[in-house]
Amino acid sequence: MTSIRVDTLEPLPGREEPPRRHVPPGRWLRENLFSTWYNSVLTVLFAALLGLLLYRVGRFVFVDGRWEIIERNLRLLLVFRFPDDALWRLWTAMYVLAGTFGLAAGAAATVRRAEVAAGRARPIGGRFLPLRRVAPVVVLAAVLLWLAGSVGATLLVAGAAAVAVLGRLAGTLLPRRYAKWTAVLALVGLAAAFGIVIGLGGVSPRTWGGLLLTIYLAIGGIAISFPLGVLLALGRRSSLPAVRVVCVTYIEIIRGVPLITVLFVGYLIIGFTLPPGTPTPSVVTRAMIGIILFTAAYVAEIVRGGLQSVPRGQYEAAQALGLSPVKTTWLIVLPQALRAVIPAMVGQFISLFKDTSLVFIIGLTELLGVADLITKQREFTAQGLIFETLLFVSLLYWVGSYSMSRESQRLERRLGVGER
Amino acid sequence: MTQTTPASKAMQPGGTGEQMILLEGVQKWFDDFQALRGIDLAVGRREVVVVLGPSGSGKSTLIRCINRLEKHDGGRIVVDGIELSDDLRNISEIRRELGMVFQQFNLFPHRTVLDNVTLAPRQVRRRPRAEARKAAMEMLERVRIPEQAHKYPGQLSGGQQQRAAIARALAMEPKIMLFDEPTSALDPEMIKEVLETMEELAESGMTMIVVSHEMGFARAVADRMVFMADGEIVEVGTPDHFFENPQEERTKQFLSQIL
Repeated sequence: MTSIRVDTLEPLPGREEPPRRHVPPGRWLRENLFSTWYNSVLTVLFAALLGLLLYRVGRFVFVDGRWEIIERNLRLLLVFRFPDDALWRLWTAMYVLAGTFGLAAGAAATVRRAEVAAGRARPIGGRFLPLRRVAPVVVLAAVLLWLAGSVGATLLVAGAAAVAVLGRLAGTLLPRRYAKWTAVLALVGLAAAFGIVIGLGGVSPRTWGGLLLTIYLAIGGIAISFPLGVLLALGRRSSLPAVRVVCVTYIEIIRGVPLITVLFVGYLIIGFTLPPGTPTPSVVTRAMIGIILFTAAYVAEIVRGGLQSVPRGQYEAAQALGLSPVKTTWLIVLPQALRAVIPAMVGQFISLFKDTSLVFIIGLTELLGVADLITKQREFTAQGLIFETLLFVSLLYWVGSYSMSRESQRLERRLGVGER
Repeated sequence: MTQTTPASKAMQPGGTGEQMILLEGVQKWFDDFQALRGIDLAVGRREVVVVLGPSGSGKSTLIRCINRLEKHDGGRIVVDGIELSDDLRNISEIRRELGMVFQQFNLFPHRTVLDNVTLAPRQVRRRPRAEARKAAMEMLERVRIPEQAHKYPGQLSGGQQQRAAIARALAMEPKIMLFDEPTSALDPEMIKEVLETMEELAESGMTMIVVSHEMGFARAVADRMVFMADGEIVEVGTPDHFFENPQEERTKQFLSQIL
């Protein structure tokens, strides 16, 4: 009988750690940027172009740019003609959001840490992650406050930041069984924020403009088009032919028409379609309805893709356990389908956020509308200040879009728990 | 009448002799293809029936018809005295009696193992949370993976996943368990742990229909074996009869290929 030496099963010396390649910077440069003569030429060429570009942009931002057009009109860009005596409502809303979202973030972080500790989830890796996440918002806040040059506003924003940080801290101390309620609380906070601004003698959205209107349309659009899109997607797969036909027709018609047309048609006909006697909704509401109807069709098709990615075996297992079709969809299929389509869905919402600028067609003055308006003011007209304005507006759009994109990536990893 | 006439043996329930499942002339069509050509089979309480046959012979279709994952097109299916009809209430009642284990496990990947097991008792049987968890932990201990309760299916080995799936089915306290090739998707070293779990289940007196080609398991556990080919039952008998003295030519041929 042969005996097997078990010592060969011991880990080989030096193999406990995955091998890590350390490349000194000099060699990295040589290998990657100057490996051949034409690579060297390209490297030098592009370095020069990049340098020139950075120089020109930097010079424009810090030296040549005439930022007084933004300074003078900051208020208009952010909240348009929002009345002075109601500004406290916006600040209060900001504090409510800071507190509730801070709390939810803290609670989520604690749950996450526990999952990682229990070996059920991998840590969300990456160096400087919190920094990359917060930096754009911080930079934006700094730019805005610098432009505003107001001590009061600076103090108020610093206070809101402090509330957010404290909320996050409190969230980490909260017992874990309350964690999922903090997410609900954040949503309630969002609704409350709108309530504070609009309700009880507040300011009706029909007078809103600037960034405030952009955010209102984006949040309202996302919040309502999402569930509507999910319903349409489920309807398209319904076993009832009538439901299916209605959903397919709706989706295909809307997807065949540009948003600008939907907005315009909505603007013109929504008043007629309501029963006589009901007051016609404001232009802002009609714009919101147009955006929702448009986005829902796209969301529906994205969700349908997700539904198709859930294997048949999942339905069968749920059926075999006796779950009703509704519960199968709600508890088994939708959670998996939606997780699979987060990237596409967020792409759609980022697109919606920027497409809110199209509401100018029905006479609304959102962020981009204000930007256009201020370059036509008497003191700034015909002075070529459009670059300053557009750069500033782009910064706002970019911070919004980038934040959505980052948060979606986090959500994706967070919901990927335990999956290989 | 010879003792190997399929119909005669197929319609005599084994186990305690009390009839749990009755199939009479069951037919199933997929478009133009007839998957089941009049299946007659009676399964008794506490009986273990192992179904085998070449691929495409209708074995899986047969047990999928019993819990209405497929709708049969002809004949009768009666489970514990309830006839399977188009009445939705009947279907859900029958599904409550039947536990099913799939070749691909079909665990819910977005829920922990414990949640997988408690889901149906809580949602379908309306058990309180604490009670469902306690029962689920007992089931997981029974299949020997209590330490995996809080992990997600994707973190388990194939064998552990299949045992979790068995626990999930058992948590509904079914009277009958259906197994659709439960070890076919497993690596060889994991087949044993799943078969052991199934053997224990059989010893505990569970009524089982198992589609499987695990001959060792069949020999040890089966009360009767059913050989199917081309949508028909070709031969029915005890494992001894099957392995020592198969009568039909097709059975002999099949066994010679897999043994």
